[in-house]
Amino acid sequence: MELGAVVVVPAREDLLSLQEAQPHALAASEKSRPFYSSRMPILGNDVLRSWMERVRKLGLRSLWLTHTPCDERVDGSALAEFARQGVERLLVIELKSYAEMDLADLLRFHCESRNPVTEAEDAGGQLGVCLRDYLALHATGEKSAFPSAPTDIGQASYQFRGYAKRILSGKERQELVRDGLTGACAMRPLGTEIRDQVWVGEGAHLASSVRVIGPTYIGARTIVHAGATIGPFASVEHDCVVDCGTTVERSTVLPDTYLAPGLLIRHQLVDGGYLEDLSWGAVADLQPAGLGSRIQRREARRQAFRETDVQSRRGGACARGFAPSSTASQPWLRVQL
Amino acid sequence: MKAIPWTILPFPCGASFADRRGLRKDLLVALRVSGSPVIVDFSSCGTLNHEDIDLLLECAAQAAGRETKVLFVAGTRVNRVLLEVTRISSLVPVFNSVREALAYPQIAAESHVQDLRAS
Repeated sequence: MELGAVVVVPAREDLLSLQEAQPHALAASEKSRPFYSSRMPILGNDVLRSWMERVRKLGLRSLWLTHTPCDERVDGSALAEFARQGVERLLVIELKSYAEMDLADLLRFHCESRNPVTEAEDAGGQLGVCLRDYLALHATGEKSAFPSAPTDIGQASYQFRGYAKRILSGKERQELVRDGLTGACAMRPLGTEIRDQVWVGEGAHLASSVRVIGPTYIGARTIVHAGATIGPFASVEHDCVVDCGTTVERSTVLPDTYLAPGLLIRHQLVDGGYLEDLSWGAVADLQPAGLGSRIQRREARRQAFRETDVQSRRGGACARGFAPSSTASQPWLRVQL
Repeated sequence: MKAIPWTILPFPCGASFADRRGLRKDLLVALRVSGSPVIVDFSSCGTLNHEDIDLLLECAAQAAGRETKVLFVAGTRVNRVLLEVTRISSLVPVFNSVREALAYPQIAAESHVQDLRAS
């Protein structure tokens, strides 16, 4: 049976156009929770690549990449197009979670349960990973074209009991950072372990008076100025600047963020000019007070986590031609594994 | 229990330059000359800008080493977060509401009375 794979990157609808230029775009206000792109690195790692690796272990040579507004599922007619092109079974991964899942086990369960759809779940609910057979793909397409069409197809739940975190939530991201730093999950910080539980990425610069308390991660090309304290349980991702005397503790600072001098960042997540307090859920704009901002970088250096980069790093060919019901807001990209 | 006289001053954010200057003067005078505690209330502030942060630090500096007790009322979670991020909350006690702030010295006074009784 021919198996295909699709990875869907959730994005806020009003940010879709921004994603090309600024893949880690975040919109936040006091009223709405911030949106963190699932392409944002976690301890320097791209969660998309971890899923790509799992798909590759299934024996697939390529997968399709697309994005949808974060509250929506991928367009049913687009999935039906896969069925029309001969795909009999499709693995659909919505990039909402990091899960150390054995996809071969999921596939085995799906075959044994003999249901057209299998959704992977853990105690917290669906993980955004499902398998759809030809019948389900076809029914999804019909439902998309004719909303009144019946979709009474069998669905099984695959109970995943391994390690999983939802990466669109600031709190769970921070839990993943903690677990990655302490070895409680398989994700390891991307850098050199300069001393016990302290990892530093390539080209990072730390002033001699900086205090680093492990477990901690400092990403590539990040600059930490005199008197700053980083850690414990902190992750300052790539290309950040932490100014003099600022403390970052039990927190994540997302890429290209500048933090002003003398701040106390504790149990918070900072992305450019926005800060989410992980205890209270409040989102503060740091920019009017000059406490933090997004560092604007030259296009060539700015971001290493773009779709195009996925191909170039893998060295695989990319066919942009195939576009099941491709629209401006939902382009499809084929990625060689 | 004897009522403690309080001075509650709204924090001059979002005002025009002249109003802001006037309110700022009132605030700093109150901190300098008032013998009673001063509550600075940010409830009407949507967010704090760099001028607000400067003024807050000036308030904290004025209050340092004086008899005048100063308390801040954040009003919103966002303001509270900003006060914590800037470490101002480690210099001056911060409360969510005026009511909470008013309860603060009473609790202190009550515990002081209880301490006296115990001794």
